[in-house]
Amino acid sequence: MAATADQRFPEPGLELVVSGWAVSSPFGLGRAGFAEGLRSGRRAVAPVDPALWPVPYAEAGLIPGFDIREVLGRKGTRSMDRVTGIAVATVGMLLADYGRSLAADPEATGLVLGTSGSVQSIMDFTRDALTGEKPYLVDPAAFPNTVMNCPTGQSAIRHCLKGPNVTVSGGAATALLALQYAARLLRGGHATALLAGAAEEFSVQRARLERAAEHGGDEPEPLGEGAALFLLEQGAAARAAGREVLATVLGSRFRAFQDPDRAGAALERCVVDLLAGAGVLADDVALVVPGGSPGLLGKQEDAALAGVAGVRRFVRPLLGDATAASAAFQLAAVLAEREDRPELADRLALVTAVDRDGTVGATLLRLN
Amino acid sequence: MTGGAALSRHRPAGRKRVVITGLGVVTSIGTGVDAFARGLRAGLSGAKPITAFDTTGFAHANACEITDFDPRQWMDELPADDLGRASQFAVAAGRMAVADAGLTVAQVRDQRALVSVGTTDGESRDLDHLTGLQVAGGEDRLDPVVARRVWPGRLSAGIVRELGLEDVETVTVPTACSAGNYAVGYGYDAISSGDVEVALCGGADALCRKTFTGFYRLGTIAPDVCRPFDADRQGILTGEGAGILLMESLDSALARGARIYAEVLGYGLSCDASHPVAPDRDSIARCITSAHRNAGIEAADVDFISAHGTGTKANDVTEVGAIRQVFGEALPRTVSIKSMIGHTMGAASALASAACALALREGFIPPTINHRSTDPLCDVDCVPNQAVEAELKVVQNNGLAFGGNNAVLILGRWDEAATAPATASADRVA
Repeated sequence: MAATADQRFPEPGLELVVSGWAVSSPFGLGRAGFAEGLRSGRRAVAPVDPALWPVPYAEAGLIPGFDIREVLGRKGTRSMDRVTGIAVATVGMLLADYGRSLAADPEATGLVLGTSGSVQSIMDFTRDALTGEKPYLVDPAAFPNTVMNCPTGQSAIRHCLKGPNVTVSGGAATALLALQYAARLLRGGHATALLAGAAEEFSVQRARLERAAEHGGDEPEPLGEGAALFLLEQGAAARAAGREVLATVLGSRFRAFQDPDRAGAALERCVVDLLAGAGVLADDVALVVPGGSPGLLGKQEDAALAGVAGVRRFVRPLLGDATAASAAFQLAAVLAEREDRPELADRLALVTAVDRDGTVGATLLRLN
Repeated sequence: MTGGAALSRHRPAGRKRVVITGLGVVTSIGTGVDAFARGLRAGLSGAKPITAFDTTGFAHANACEITDFDPRQWMDELPADDLGRASQFAVAAGRMAVADAGLTVAQVRDQRALVSVGTTDGESRDLDHLTGLQVAGGEDRLDPVVARRVWPGRLSAGIVRELGLEDVETVTVPTACSAGNYAVGYGYDAISSGDVEVALCGGADALCRKTFTGFYRLGTIAPDVCRPFDADRQGILTGEGAGILLMESLDSALARGARIYAEVLGYGLSCDASHPVAPDRDSIARCITSAHRNAGIEAADVDFISAHGTGTKANDVTEVGAIRQVFGEALPRTVSIKSMIGHTMGAASALASAACALALREGFIPPTINHRSTDPLCDVDCVPNQAVEAELKVVQNNGLAFGGNNAVLILGRWDEAATAPATASADRVA
């Protein structure tokens, strides 16, 4: 019951674990396709059909053939936008595979989703207002889509998640920030289980905005989309529910940089503090999944991680720049690799992110 | 034992007490904490005809717009056009909160920090502008400077960059119209757990055509002014602004002799999981109950409620119904500052938190203005039109939102008279 969640104030040092995950990506819907795509190193970025997507890009990392009504059915999807559809579908996959006992306690189960909503929905709504016969003749059913928490709220409605329902945003670091938010909510006694992760959509307006913005003067990188979500709960709760502990969350750290040339120094400090806080050594890290953006920030990230052991895995060259979902894909890659390589049991995995607006972040997991 | 110590019984071992020591506010009734406090006490109204966008074709178009804001006054590091209007509000409020706390920027830089800023629309004002360019000049007619600044992460990152913070976790919380309470609650958890030492938390939003149009289409924009709990209420006025609270541990505030506005006692979250826009009474009641439990208080401890109080037919009846469900017939006074500053969206519950903190510190309850006769369907003492003096110990701040995102914050008075003995006894124990 929710009362139990609220009354039990867990210890600050509580053991939090990942006990389930789900992913929708340019490799398709589901974990198997994602793992297979990574294993083979297949690039899922592909030419875009300009008739469907009139965008100033030749390629994109789209979820192949993603159609909201095919995936979710016709009921309740008439006005649903793409990012909401992606989030709702991915939450559904996670609950279907791992969440059976959670349904008994919806008030203590919540969602922390990283997303900035849909700029397409926002701009479409304003366009209708500007071009319609009257400035107020807009579709009222589309209004909720223009608010950035729409994917989070709709996922709760479709899947009856009545606990904390939180939307967070922070560029390339979004999913790490979402995981941190969820960890604090669990430690604060606000829920007993949280789905945490991030979702992003490909859209014509997102592509136009990104192209127009000319961030940093780098060659525009193909954009990606998708979502990945992780079930976060206390280790004891996972074991009691018969869910395998996939990984233990040892912590996350964030810092900021003013000048892109200092991004590496900020991340290096972040990682040093994170490892020290967890009482582990840089040599103990077996797997590192960096953000891996091209250009200066990626080089800064590489340099920052020079002192950290472990094999490197990069998802961004295969999936494109998934912005809000990018670090969610990185976390998913850690869990996919764990399933492929049993020797990673008890080893450490590090995920890092460098966002162009000045945030660096790192999350440390111990794989089970 | 002091009253404060009694409350802390409910706090788990190892958790720190959290206090608000700085307030930064940008509102249509005053910018800066002193002007805002005077405005709340005087019951000022920010309502006026909209100038933010062309309102031709709307039968009525009032809003609580801010018409005297100069971003250059607050932005030292970045060019003003690097940030959209909502981020500019956030930066201004963040700077004010630091100064109001009696801290230098350098002192904030030296501490581990959290910056969390809630929002409904992010920089939708800019997206409106860009859409207008496309409609007028073609799909690729986008202004690169504006296109770079539209993402919501900028609201929190703007504060971090302006203040030059490095040891900081930076997060924007776009949880719609209760986002301010989410952001403040997050700061509470981050400080009470010892993760960070100082937190700048709140919310920001700028007036935009998109949101005005949406509420207008739903028939929920009042033709003249916002009258929460009134029998003749006709809806919201959209508003804009920012509220940022500087929070730190009680120990830190006492050690540096800071002025303490209020203690954050706790908060609760719930999700309706039923309807995207219609509020749900049971779920709001559940949120209030969980906030009380998290704060270690009983309903009877609450001296007044700062309601979400949008002034729509549906909200006020549902919200008061939820309050009644928890409080029974003994309802505390229940006010809505949206009557004065409009519905400032993601800033709303942050600005209301600031108002609650001021009320606790100064001993008054802000009024619900524009009030004529209370609706029997939401029959509360809304402190009509005139602020009242009151000895307050505990106040409750409700935030509700699209997506069924409820967040309720509980603040308590910090009793300076009780500080000395409490500290002394703590020292003896130590």
